[in-house]
Amino acid sequence: MLFKEDEVARAEAKAVRENAGWYRWTHDLVEVTGADAERFLDWMLVNRIAGTPEGRGKYTTMLDEQGQIIDDLVAFNRGGGLWWLSTLYGPHAVRWFDAHREGFEVAYADNTQAWDMYAVQGPNSAKVMAKLLGQSVDELKRFQIVDAHVGDIAVVVDRGGFTGELGYEVYCKREDSAAVAEAIAAAADAFDAPRLTTLEVYVRSLPMEKGLALRQDYYGLTPYEANLGWSVHLDKDFFGKEALEAAHAAGETRSFVGVEIERDSYEDIAQKEILRKRGVPRGYVTQMIYGYTVDKNIGFAVVDAKRCPVGTRVTIGPNDSPAVIVEPKWL
Amino acid sequence: MALLAHVDTHRGVETAFGKIIPEREAYSYCLRTIAAFSANIFQVMRVLNDDWEDRTSQICEIANMMNCAACAGGKDELFQYLDQFYTDWNIPELVKRSAWIGGIWGDYGDEAEDMAGRVIQFTENRVEKELDSCPWDIVGSEMCNMTTAMFTANFDIAAGGEHGAITNDVALNMCEARGCGNPHCRVVAERLDKFNLEHQDWLDHRGQPTQPVHDTPVERRVSHAQGLRNGQYVQAFGEENSLEWQYNWVAQMGWVWSISFPLIAIRDMAEDDDEFERILRIVFATAGKNSFVDFFAREGLRSWLDIPRSIGDNDPRVMGAYIDAVLGCQLVPHEFEAFDGEGVEIRVSQENFEGRFEMAPLEEITMGYEAQWNGACHTLVSPEWSVWIDEDDDDYIINVGRKIDDRAL
Repeated sequence: MLFKEDEVARAEAKAVRENAGWYRWTHDLVEVTGADAERFLDWMLVNRIAGTPEGRGKYTTMLDEQGQIIDDLVAFNRGGGLWWLSTLYGPHAVRWFDAHREGFEVAYADNTQAWDMYAVQGPNSAKVMAKLLGQSVDELKRFQIVDAHVGDIAVVVDRGGFTGELGYEVYCKREDSAAVAEAIAAAADAFDAPRLTTLEVYVRSLPMEKGLALRQDYYGLTPYEANLGWSVHLDKDFFGKEALEAAHAAGETRSFVGVEIERDSYEDIAQKEILRKRGVPRGYVTQMIYGYTVDKNIGFAVVDAKRCPVGTRVTIGPNDSPAVIVEPKWL
Repeated sequence: MALLAHVDTHRGVETAFGKIIPEREAYSYCLRTIAAFSANIFQVMRVLNDDWEDRTSQICEIANMMNCAACAGGKDELFQYLDQFYTDWNIPELVKRSAWIGGIWGDYGDEAEDMAGRVIQFTENRVEKELDSCPWDIVGSEMCNMTTAMFTANFDIAAGGEHGAITNDVALNMCEARGCGNPHCRVVAERLDKFNLEHQDWLDHRGQPTQPVHDTPVERRVSHAQGLRNGQYVQAFGEENSLEWQYNWVAQMGWVWSISFPLIAIRDMAEDDDEFERILRIVFATAGKNSFVDFFAREGLRSWLDIPRSIGDNDPRVMGAYIDAVLGCQLVPHEFEAFDGEGVEIRVSQENFEGRFEMAPLEEITMGYEAQWNGACHTLVSPEWSVWIDEDDDDYIINVGRKIDDRAL
């Protein structure tokens, strides 16, 4: 829960928007190998994974039998038949793969405990990274992943992140974590880039302002309902495709939207708080947060697509907080 | 919404007269009955021990120890347990086990118990949790202190190094408590090293935090937890518990933490079992009599259970229907053996009646409810009618019948 008066959180958000900031942010990491690894992932994931060049990654969703989202992740082709899946739900992904691996020569493991990860985010993050690595990262394209070194320590760096700003992620072995953190801190200090300590600033507030949602926001929606239709490739086969096609043909009944509340704070609005239009339940909020760049209490919601277009006035929660439906992206 | 659309999903507890108590209402009532039982037990404690500091320390220590013991096993098993918790709850690896897992752990328990509120702050160095409501707010100040001892156990378990030892690196304060008259319960955990704080003893947990707190304005407070208002609980990282899960969980665990744990210490405050049981019966009998001394309480009950006017005031079925509703809402399987103007007999297995949490059966439930319901029967129906509990093999028979007792309480 973030409040507009929180000057520490505000300063951390401002640093990432205007300069740079860094923090420890460990996604779960599932490693996939085997002769059929690429074919398996292309089947399990909605986006076109086959043909992803070595050293590049793709954002994608993963669906259940109903064509509804059960995870969203980035799949990196690390080369040599090795794939990295950066997800928040590693153990869940492994269990799901276990249930659907038949016919594929594939191996996978949740290696989250072996790797640690730091994020360096913000318009000046490339400068911090150049100082950290002793080489420019300007040539790195979005979701490009490369081997690099921090001093003598081998690391893996990708251009990505979850703030909507230019940013990089640094993977290192767990045993090197403290040394890498120290090196990042030193490089960041040179640019007055602070270490972020408020989880909700970098997990919710900064991402939401830029329209970046968590899997928990999308869970149970189809990619079309979640505004992720661009990632669906109906010209290939993937798990859940048939159900998704049928649902899409029938027309989306829910939509993923933004909400802005018109009160000073949102203490009475939990995740899945009920959203009403003229007193009738028409959806639920998936999360709310304070956005320090837009200086508003903002949120994501899943609503009745027909009855709640952008501009609809609604109320949220037990105290009927007045709110308005907006596009789910503020910056 | 048309009723038919909800028939399959909306459940309830049926009264003896066919009225359905909706699931949410039954759940809410269940919580309050457990809290009321706990309040009676704490009255027994106050009779036995008139030293607030001493009795509070004793229940704090036992509650902490028992909460730690809930995760029995060696260090490896402990880590395995915590790993599973991390996986099930999808807690990011960056959340430090040494401190903050306790904050998440506590949150789902609070919500299941309709201790409605919010995690105000969740950072590496500080966690602040604020509650607007608490069904246990009738128990009293010792309970508020005891819960901080249990939170300490959550944090200690999470630290994982020395099982059950006070090793943690946070100061934990319930700086406001509804059971003490504050508008909120507020628990704040602050890292000792970050805020230059000392390790605490049992009675130090009601201090003030070093950093300012956030006080939610009246207009944005809530009356009920997520389960009751939204149908499920969602924790900070998106995992959900259904209302059904919460109801079943609390119908077991509510008895454990708020009654079983303190009872271990309270029993030891008595000179012997006879003294403890004598006082327990007196306290519960008084509580029962006071439940229905007001005429509007009797009328309210009749309305709630939909008791027809053809059944008069001096009829054992009124009391029988009340006991049936209590058991139903507490999710205790039972059945009527008799239900007429001559008396009521309710059969319930001893295992179900006392073993609300299977691993920690409570014979005090039988003692307490027998005295409480008997007292209640005297004001709800009339002193001509009594409640007593007989054993029948592995079952209990709860009787509402005529009984003359020259030494009645």
